Amino acid sequence: MNEKALNVRQICFLFAAILPVTRMLVYPATLSYRAKNDLVWAALISFAAEFAVIALLLLLAKKTDLTFFGLVQNTFGRVAARIACFVFSLYFFFSSLLPVLEQRGFILQVFYENVSSFLSFIPFVAVSLYASVKGLRSTGRVADLSLPIFAVCIPVLLLLALPEADFTALLPVGSTGAGNIFRSAAEGMNWFGGAAYMLFFLGNFRYEKKSAVKILSAYGIGAAIVLFFLALFYGIFSDIAILQQNALAHISKYATSFTSLGRIDLLFIFALSPVLLFALCLPLQLSTRCAAEALHVRPVFPAAAIHLLLLLFILFFNQSYLEIQTLMTQKLWYVFVVFALLLPALALVLRREKGAGAGGARLKNGRRL
Amino acid sequence: MKTNKIGMRIFLLIAAFLLLLFFSNDFGLIDIQKTSIITAIGIDAGEEGGMDITAQIAVPEAGNSGKAGNVSVKGARTVGEAISLLNLKTGWYPTLVHCRLILLGEAATKTDVFRSLDYFLRSQFVEDSCLVAVCAERAEDALGAQSPVGDMTYAAIEKVLSSEAQKTGLVSVNNLREFSKGYYSVGKSSFLPVLTLKKDAQAEGGGSSSANESQSGSSAKSASAGSDLFDASSTMLFFRGRQADVLSAEETLAFNLAYTATDFAYGNVSVSENGENVTYNLKIKITKKSEKVSDEKGVPVLRFSIRARAQIADASDAGSAQEVAQSSVVPAFVLQAAQDRLRLQLDAAFKKAQNCGCDLFGVCQSLQRFQPRLLQTLGENALSAAKASFDIRFDTLH
Repeated sequence: MNEKALNVRQICFLFAAILPVTRMLVYPATLSYRAKNDLVWAALISFAAEFAVIALLLLLAKKTDLTFFGLVQNTFGRVAARIACFVFSLYFFFSSLLPVLEQRGFILQVFYENVSSFLSFIPFVAVSLYASVKGLRSTGRVADLSLPIFAVCIPVLLLLALPEADFTALLPVGSTGAGNIFRSAAEGMNWFGGAAYMLFFLGNFRYEKKSAVKILSAYGIGAAIVLFFLALFYGIFSDIAILQQNALAHISKYATSFTSLGRIDLLFIFALSPVLLFALCLPLQLSTRCAAEALHVRPVFPAAAIHLLLLLFILFFNQSYLEIQTLMTQKLWYVFVVFALLLPALALVLRREKGAGAGGARLKNGRRL
Repeated sequence: MKTNKIGMRIFLLIAAFLLLLFFSNDFGLIDIQKTSIITAIGIDAGEEGGMDITAQIAVPEAGNSGKAGNVSVKGARTVGEAISLLNLKTGWYPTLVHCRLILLGEAATKTDVFRSLDYFLRSQFVEDSCLVAVCAERAEDALGAQSPVGDMTYAAIEKVLSSEAQKTGLVSVNNLREFSKGYYSVGKSSFLPVLTLKKDAQAEGGGSSSANESQSGSSAKSASAGSDLFDASSTMLFFRGRQADVLSAEETLAFNLAYTATDFAYGNVSVSENGENVTYNLKIKITKKSEKVSDEKGVPVLRFSIRARAQIADASDAGSAQEVAQSSVVPAFVLQAAQDRLRLQLDAAFKKAQNCGCDLFGVCQSLQRFQPRLLQTLGENALSAAKASFDIRFDTLH
């Protein structure tokens, strides 16, 4: 019997089906702001960096069964491990803020909501709170649920959009300059939390033979789908790409809006909404787990505090998406580079030998972090 | 332990219920009686630089019958202001989500049309898949016309501008996204179909033009005896958002056959047979077409390559039984005349666009993508320096 919260299949599904969808809303328009027709290259840089860090973490997972907490505790002691967990808890909470407002815009547009209400967020917060209390096991189950939805909906949407795309819009390659491409890649790091997630999956899944190949292949498939999506997106919108804030809701409508069937693509977009919701819960779940470990309390208390903070954030910044987007992408991009790439990569230098009580910290409810 | 499980189940049920409300948008519930669905917007030039906005509005009602009517706001400085005024004057909260048509009055195209159209790009709640067209006169009049095919005029206009019309080459259809792409592209050019209202003889007074902030229901219009017809066979060229020139119906057909999604068309060609002028109506199926800009000694050359298969659909001269039976065979001299005619019209369209600065065939865009250095060298003169060459071949069954 596998005691671990996650298994390799679920991690594969997470990278292949859940995380790619989060990069199909505002991320394409954000990239095209600076990288313009080179947005695919900017995204490729981000994917390559994240792929490399995940590969390093899988190398670590192959050599040790310790969790991140265990590794830090082994190297720097329990207090340092708690501090590290607390800092990552803050990071995960911080990284969830823009996606929450991003999701708001998407829901308003796709569900034709007329009044943006604070109350609209209550059900999301309730679901996220529940998922956060449940822990990583729920993440795995959600990944199992998301893959079939993704596997059906995304190909349909891409195929509907394909006839509208003119891929020559991506030419000439490199015309925006290397500086803009790299800067654009850095500004898009808010959407690249995969390596940080992987850091906290360490010790929570059983590393089996070829696990790394499977996970990296799944990551590659997810990345390829997003890159193709970006190419399609720019092929359809070219010079007005920057105006298309919810790319997923737009790319397929031209094939359907004037047909007798109407916007049948909306059915597939609706179906993907729960996947986006699950993706939104993920950083909040991890924030809760990290806080619970840092403070050594049951997850329900930090979960309640984190979600209360989230509600307050929504209350005050409900109408400030553009300001938050500018802050996260153009001003604080380095926070994401540090926490989503550099720190997970540095985990490789942590001590792997088991010290006393380092085999993975246990939370108050007995689960491992 | 058991209490815990029951608590969790109740929590799950509540979460599921809230999710249901969330995804069915019941949190955003609004009173449908206070909501108007704008199906079309007309934009005309107003007095003192303002704009007159006409909205064709469908009001959902219980049962099968819905009402539709036009509401106008005159002298607004922006479209946004006009929409707010609509709310103020009527008490409706207009949603533009279902706006499927934007009509520009001819006078409004004399200034940069993106003064008004950018409103629709700014809002995420307006679909940029909506059709855009220019009215030969006022957009308000076109929206007030009596539709022969339904209660709402926009539905009739939408049919005239349908993708089927585009496929047969009769209309150069454009939507807001494509029009905007052209405007913001390096060529700063685009095109729109010109919608001409043709009054039916019986329909005198049938149309309903709206007075200032007045409303007129289409149910009243349907009592009218006649109907108005729409024609959109000519095409207006735009440069920097302003009207630059107009392609005739034949030039529009040539443009469509060479450059747009048209792959099937009917066209007339006149030839002299035994001293008499005979007109053949040809059914043309485009089998292959491409256009490519190449650098020929520093001169951008736009090369059109078109292959088509032709059949005789009709002729002005009575044919023998054998000729009628063999309508899929087109005489060589008729084919040649058809090729020459397409070349002539296409060349005319190219030169007309070139002369007015409209990069109708995407020469600058093509240079930007494939020959950026040449574009840099030629700069603003890229379009005027361009030349066109034609490789057009019509084929038939032998």
